[in-house]
Amino acid sequence: MGKTLFEKIWDSHVVVEKENNPSLIYIDRHLVHEVTSPQAFEGLRINNRTVRRPNLTIATMDHNVPTTDRRLPILDQTSAIQMQTLEKNCKDFGIELFDINSPNQGIVHVIGPQLGITLPGSTIVCGDSHTSTHGAFGALAFGIGTSEVEHVLASQTLWLEKPKSFEIRVDGKRKNPHAVTAKDIILSIIKNIGTSGGTGTIVEYSGEGITDLSMEERMTVCNMSIEAGARAGLVAPDEKTFAYLRNRKYTPKNYESLVGHWRENLKTDTNAKFDKTFTLHIDNIAPQVSWGTNPGMTCDVTESVPFAEDYSNGDQSQKKAMVKALEYMDLKPGTPITEIKIDRVFIGSCTNARIEDLIEASKVIKDQKISKNVRAMVVPGSQMVKKQAEEMGIDKIFTDAKFEWREAGCSMCLGMNPDILSPGERCASTSNRNFEGRQGTGGRTHLVSPVMAAAAALEGHFVDVRQLDLN
Amino acid sequence: MKGNIIKYAKDNIDTDVIIPGQYLKVHDYAELATHAMEGLDPDFHSKVKEGDFILSGKNFGCGSSREHAPIALSHSGIKAVLALSFARIFYRNAVDGAFLLPIEIDQDAYDEISEGDEIDINISANEIKNITKNQTYKMKPFSEIIGKIIAAGGLFKYKPE
Repeated sequence: MGKTLFEKIWDSHVVVEKENNPSLIYIDRHLVHEVTSPQAFEGLRINNRTVRRPNLTIATMDHNVPTTDRRLPILDQTSAIQMQTLEKNCKDFGIELFDINSPNQGIVHVIGPQLGITLPGSTIVCGDSHTSTHGAFGALAFGIGTSEVEHVLASQTLWLEKPKSFEIRVDGKRKNPHAVTAKDIILSIIKNIGTSGGTGTIVEYSGEGITDLSMEERMTVCNMSIEAGARAGLVAPDEKTFAYLRNRKYTPKNYESLVGHWRENLKTDTNAKFDKTFTLHIDNIAPQVSWGTNPGMTCDVTESVPFAEDYSNGDQSQKKAMVKALEYMDLKPGTPITEIKIDRVFIGSCTNARIEDLIEASKVIKDQKISKNVRAMVVPGSQMVKKQAEEMGIDKIFTDAKFEWREAGCSMCLGMNPDILSPGERCASTSNRNFEGRQGTGGRTHLVSPVMAAAAALEGHFVDVRQLDLN
Repeated sequence: MKGNIIKYAKDNIDTDVIIPGQYLKVHDYAELATHAMEGLDPDFHSKVKEGDFILSGKNFGCGSSREHAPIALSHSGIKAVLALSFARIFYRNAVDGAFLLPIEIDQDAYDEISEGDEIDINISANEIKNITKNQTYKMKPFSEIIGKIIAAGGLFKYKPE
């Protein structure tokens, strides 16, 4: 029987495999940031260990960096200490660091591909659940905890149980790809399979709906695999993948011969079998807006906030969760999504803060002003994205519309730095999690695409962006 | 292992409510523990006792990979989380650092065990006994791999055969 792409990558990274024992898997790239690494480095010191392969380890600061003027001192002392700690750890252990003043600084999952660190067929880990983003390049990439970070630092390997394989086919063509985006595809998938639909699996996304996507759009899809409970998501590499990674800062010197090998080997065999499959048809999908407190609680922009009976389908615990979610979100069943008024807009995060996201959002707001009831900000995914946008004049489009134009970081996606919602504030956010308190205690998050977020900023509420002229 | 139940009868308890993002800068585990479950139950810190167990629904610990989540619970005194299912990174973090035992239970145990019940967990027999109600349930056995890491006392103490 043939093998899936995941199995091929797994098999080529096994160091030790014995029946009824975990497999020891070799890790090709380890990405490190300031929040989940301090205890891991401390563990190395206590046990007198070194970093096994510092040249395969790259660090940056993203989670708690301020997104305001970088020349100013950092006011939050605990954040400043965490950044200084990372600096010291990288220096002591010989790891390359893109610090807050580096032109390469940015969200770890945005800079990996931009720098050519992310490569097809490789294993990539990071102490961050959205490491699944790198799967867009046909890498086996997944988030780990701090104990595992320490294990990888010390040994460049991990003891793992082999996950199951899950094929998600995306068939058909979107009628309006500017209005119905990659974000709408992944939100539709999670809405259908649920937040634990992918638990214990590696998802391979396939079909015309995926191969049609640009690399950045594929990253958006793979990024949110974790929100469906999957360990990782991946897409078989193709010519778009190889073109994206060519001539980047860390692209390997023997790149063309690697491409030859990848083209030949990195695909699922036609006679391979997945443990599980799901198909989404996208011909007629609508822009999506989340209404609840997990990413599965999502509906079409043309729908209304559902009633508990309809949503839960007789499942009492689902019904209870939904009632509680609506209470937290301060929403009434039957309210049209387009009538939900927002206070804030956040365009950012490892899900949707790459250059294409900013270009698409800027088309919506060009020569217009945001609603006077809305405060809106753009936080580019990396300093490289920011620079590119500024060279294209996109920053000006945003600032003319009265968006705040910020420095790169995770920012309001997870509320670790000063960019947070106030209690009760409602936000149209291009991030990945609408959990209670995620963007600040009492804050209410609606997950949407960059285009929807931009349109909501102008109107003060959600709109069917298919009716806008976005070409 | 005996303890009393703190029950959260809901699915999808995520790591953002177990330990909100603003506390990921806190390195003192005792202080971190004072914010455990703050996003869901602000009274948790005042009611939790050393040796307590949490009982919850499906997909416990979903979301962020933050190991601060099992650490905050463990340093609050929680020795085990009993849930219908777990998100994988939380599950592995709990075991890797030997912070607490993630125990998968069936629907009957979830429905019938109440807040405050005294429970005895017997791992070698894969059994959970509700002492308060005199009922016994099966727990889902750990996979061999996880069982070995737990028996060793964490990832760094695990030695392959």
